Amino acid sequence: MSILTIDKLSKSFGAQKVIDDLNLTVPEGSIFGFIGQNGAGKTTTMKMVLGLLKADSGKITVCGETVTYGHIKTNQQIGYLPDVPEFYNYMRPLEYLALCGEISGLSKEETRSRSNELMSLVGLDGVKKRMSGFSRGMKQRLGIAQALLSHPKLLICDEPTSALDPVGRKEILDILQKIKGSTTVIFSTHILSDVERICDHVAALHNGHIAVCGTLSEIKTLHKRDSLLLEFTRSEDIKKFTSDNRIVPLLAHSEKNNTEIIIHGSNIEHIQHTVISVLAEASLCPSKIEIVEPSLENLFLEVIQ
Amino acid sequence: MSGYIAFLKKEFIEDTRNYRLLLMLGLYFIFGVMGPLSAKFMPELIKTFSPNMQIIIEEPSALESWTQFYKNVSSLGLSLTLIIFSNCLSNEYTKGTLTIMLTKGLSRPAVILSKFSSIAVIMTVSFWMCFGVTYGYTAYLWPSEELSHLLFAAFALWMSAMLYLCILMFGCVLFQQAFASILFLLVITLIFSLLGMTDLLSAYSPSFLSSKNIDLISGTVTISEFAIPITISLIMSGVLLFLSITVFNKKQL
Repeated sequence: MSILTIDKLSKSFGAQKVIDDLNLTVPEGSIFGFIGQNGAGKTTTMKMVLGLLKADSGKITVCGETVTYGHIKTNQQIGYLPDVPEFYNYMRPLEYLALCGEISGLSKEETRSRSNELMSLVGLDGVKKRMSGFSRGMKQRLGIAQALLSHPKLLICDEPTSALDPVGRKEILDILQKIKGSTTVIFSTHILSDVERICDHVAALHNGHIAVCGTLSEIKTLHKRDSLLLEFTRSEDIKKFTSDNRIVPLLAHSEKNNTEIIIHGSNIEHIQHTVISVLAEASLCPSKIEIVEPSLENLFLEVIQ
Repeated sequence: MSGYIAFLKKEFIEDTRNYRLLLMLGLYFIFGVMGPLSAKFMPELIKTFSPNMQIIIEEPSALESWTQFYKNVSSLGLSLTLIIFSNCLSNEYTKGTLTIMLTKGLSRPAVILSKFSSIAVIMTVSFWMCFGVTYGYTAYLWPSEELSHLLFAAFALWMSAMLYLCILMFGCVLFQQAFASILFLLVITLIFSLLGMTDLLSAYSPSFLSSKNIDLISGTVTISEFAIPITISLIMSGVLLFLSITVFNKKQL
């Protein structure tokens, strides 16, 4: 079952069309990576899902209910973590969570027990100082706590790791990993290694629409270009290797420098057989032979070109 | 409704911890003391500092004390109040603190209504405390003088203060920056006072409520003359509050 469906969504700011006929389906229980360059329209899309921005056209459905701009019904199913969450600096974290709980309609008792639970999940238990003294990482962690307070079915995180140092990033990703299963997470980012670490589904936003979408492995298989990397110690070896008659036809899509060559092709086994027999006959010993796995970064660059 | 109450509590915590409440109470207490005090001692001060000047100064009186009260509160007091609260929404816009609250299911009308209520309550408490202080101090300094319609005259000024708060709310909703809402308020005030200058409209302008208070106490105008300006102010306040909510509902955040 899908928890979020976006159908033919469009949005312009003045003459600039930011979102253009966007379609997206987020399956329940997934950690969904929503990738795109800065300014691709990730935040705009998320704000439309939250009913904070008005869509020019299209339909958004959250848990089977249609999102209407300015209305709050669908928001009760959603927890939202903005890119740089800002809180009321004069409040203490537990006071803030109590306010959030009261607005969400939770009982006092439930808010208290849930707050304590979440404060320890995000590693803020025992922090009683006012939020004016919070670091960015602490704000981000409290942001997750407030977003999860009312047991939302869907958690929307807008670039939760972009502004953090490596330690802070790891902590946030670990927290998101912990809640996997109980909550569906949509996670926008331009840091692809984060997506590879925790997401099972990915969609790449480019030019206002989804350029590629699917499970991480699907996308990798779909865009897989078989590649074999060979590294030699001497440049004469590489010259000798590439001048072989059986190798020349394979070089149409290859990248080469002084000591290294990457051969791309559609049939990796054929490439391997040819390369190994040529190496054996010419008595060449490369220092490294490796099948190159497609990285999300390469895929992303390929998609946005 | 629960959202309104929760957010109202938050507003009071904010006003207390950001010292707005303390500032308002302090300010209006000073205004309350200053009226009678300056009425009593200003003539002596002038005499002490410029003994050679020939100025005809009237004897200090309770009426002079109330004149000071209305002068202070309607000009400086009200202006400072509006400046103190001018960033009530712009802070939330620029920092983005409201976004989380709205995604939690807080309704947009509740935001406007709770902000207006908290400011109105603080204004009302400060204003009537100021009135009480002036009243007590004036009665103490001039025990034999009896003035009429003191309460109604103050009510008229309070009513006009409420109208200005509604204008401020509308300005805050319209403009993202605090200074723009102040500017908006200034323009409206200017329009009101221009209306007040024309013979035809002066009796209907809301500025009547903040300029004719002493005339009421001294007996040059009657209570019934306040009926139309009060009705107009009430209607305007309601309309402005309604417009604030309507515009805010459509605002993209």
